[in-house]
Amino acid sequence: MIELKDVSKIYKLGGEEINALDHVNLKVDKGDFIAIVGPSGSGKSTLANVIGGLDIPDSGEVLIDEHDISKVNDEILSKYRNKKVGFIFQTFNLQPTYSALENVMVPLVFAGMSWGERKKRALECLKAVGLEDRINHLPNQLSGGQRQRVCIARALVNNPEVIIADEPTGNLDSKKGAEIVDLLKSLNQNAGITLIVITHDLSIAKQAKRVIEIHDGRIK
Amino acid sequence: MKFFDYISFSFKNLARRKARTLLTIIAITIGSLSVILMVSLLTGIRQSLVDMLQEMDAFSLVTVTRDPDAVDNGGSIITSGNGDTTNGKKLDDAAFNTLKKLNNVADATPIGGGIWMDTMKLEGQNKKMWASLISYQPDTSVFQMPLEAGRKLKNDDMDKIVVGGRFVKTYGYANNPQDLIGKRIVFNMKMGGNAPDWGPLPEKPPMNADKEWWEAHNDDVHEITAEIVGIAKNSAMDDNQNYINIAWAQKLMTQVRWESSECKNNNGPCEQIMQLVKDDQFTKNGYGSIILKANDTKNLGSIADAVSGLGYGVSTAQDMMDEINNIFAGIGIILGVIGGISLFVAAIGIINTMVMATFERTREIGVMRACGATRATIRHLFTFEAAMLGFWGGLFGLGLSYLIGKVGTQIADKYATDIPIPVDQVAQFPWWLVTGVVAFTTLIGLMSGLGPAIRAARLNPVDALRYE
Repeated sequence: MIELKDVSKIYKLGGEEINALDHVNLKVDKGDFIAIVGPSGSGKSTLANVIGGLDIPDSGEVLIDEHDISKVNDEILSKYRNKKVGFIFQTFNLQPTYSALENVMVPLVFAGMSWGERKKRALECLKAVGLEDRINHLPNQLSGGQRQRVCIARALVNNPEVIIADEPTGNLDSKKGAEIVDLLKSLNQNAGITLIVITHDLSIAKQAKRVIEIHDGRIK
Repeated sequence: MKFFDYISFSFKNLARRKARTLLTIIAITIGSLSVILMVSLLTGIRQSLVDMLQEMDAFSLVTVTRDPDAVDNGGSIITSGNGDTTNGKKLDDAAFNTLKKLNNVADATPIGGGIWMDTMKLEGQNKKMWASLISYQPDTSVFQMPLEAGRKLKNDDMDKIVVGGRFVKTYGYANNPQDLIGKRIVFNMKMGGNAPDWGPLPEKPPMNADKEWWEAHNDDVHEITAEIVGIAKNSAMDDNQNYINIAWAQKLMTQVRWESSECKNNNGPCEQIMQLVKDDQFTKNGYGSIILKANDTKNLGSIADAVSGLGYGVSTAQDMMDEINNIFAGIGIILGVIGGISLFVAAIGIINTMVMATFERTREIGVMRACGATRATIRHLFTFEAAMLGFWGGLFGLGLSYLIGKVGTQIADKYATDIPIPVDQVAQFPWWLVTGVVAFTTLIGLMSGLGPAIRAARLNPVDALRYE
């Protein structure tokens, strides 16, 4: 379970202070599917990053299974990202010189898994996203939808408890986008993975169990 | 992250920018090449000098010269002092006997050094060469003169010679020196109207010989032949030296001439009586030097002290070693600075490459952090990559300098026969140089990569992921 208590984060942008998160309180249950919506610059990405352990709040507590990750060292935080969180990006962020398989294997490298196990696990995940016949393709040999599937496989590979998807369909057409959302939904329903999706797309938000609207760093 | 992963990551990343990686490595290669060639050349030359001294058993020898103020006269252990100075105490037989009886002296030999012949050639050949002769007592154990072929000199050898490597090379016997054994050498010797005490006597001047007759005989050339009995093994220096028995040298150095006696008949016309006079240089001026052999290397100092106490000049191989070490330390510093500068430039190249790499891969760093890489992992990754640049540069430099050393040695062997250094010994690659250079360039790479790597590790993952 994820619990945010009185979390604040202030960015300085050109001498101006922006309240990205303003005393936010939030609880996300295990297996939940929440959509975070709001205008640009409202702080929805910051909220997701704080939950994912990529960003550290200025104040407040971020409790993951009752452990506060807002004050731990880099090693523990990195381990948390590695073991418990999977990130999916709008721009995929795949390594252009690595094959689909190698891209999926990256988190396993940092987990210190042996090469044989890495390959086995990465193949399983690529199969789960329906790309078993594309494992040796480079990202530029894949379509946008396929790239996002590789990204999902990479997020899945360490058996995370949470998947954080920041505009996962932003760079895809509506048909491909719907397929990706279906895939994410099935992971949430079948594997019980907590799903946090940041989106502009109301059709996605409608499918979530809970919608959180955020304005100027505050949850409405 | 496992060690193998660091290797595989850095390989993949370096392979992404092949041209840039190659150029950076070339810079390090050149830097390490210059360092290796300089060091190996220095080591090789120094080593061959030391080998030569050791081969001659020089570390148990004390060279006694007559002049205590000219201790270091620049000559090698056996050529130093040729009796042409009149300072100091004469090194005659009496001196020899005194010195030989000093404590801890195992053996001794007088040396008649630096006998220069006008020319020297292999009989039947036209090519002439300069050469000097060293003479010593053959039955002595002072010299451990290693031979390439033939035998050592014996006490009753008169017109016998052991020739040096230069002679062998000059007449093209480098590959089959044993074929020279038994052949004869012809020396030309001018003694200004005198003759050596070997071979025919000088022409007896006619009664009342005039100036013209004397002048005509001033340039008389005496042809002396000697049989080659041995070939001295090539040593780093002195391959121009040839060796003869000191008894024969004494005869060659003895000037024989006709002199007219005083007029005896004071009343009548003066009737000159011509008589032969022999002028023994060794008796008159003493030997060039005397070499003492210590019964143990550790007694070298006490013998040297005793000799200088007697008022003679003295030098030991240790003096030479000190000198050699001094010279080479000086050269080493200069060459080290040159090599250091080129490696410094190469290090800047690595820094540049790594800084560019961290900028190019900012987003990738963000992704790796999101996937669970710690700051330390990112830092290690970039440092490792930079160290790899240094490692490969050092390795290529090593391979290249080995090749250059091989080719250079072959070329030098062919064309540089005049350099009194056996080139096959130059350009050495001792294990400490091989491992040292690669370790050093790797360290340079590592240190150059440290700055950019720390910068990469400090990046905020959120900013890194947004980086365009």
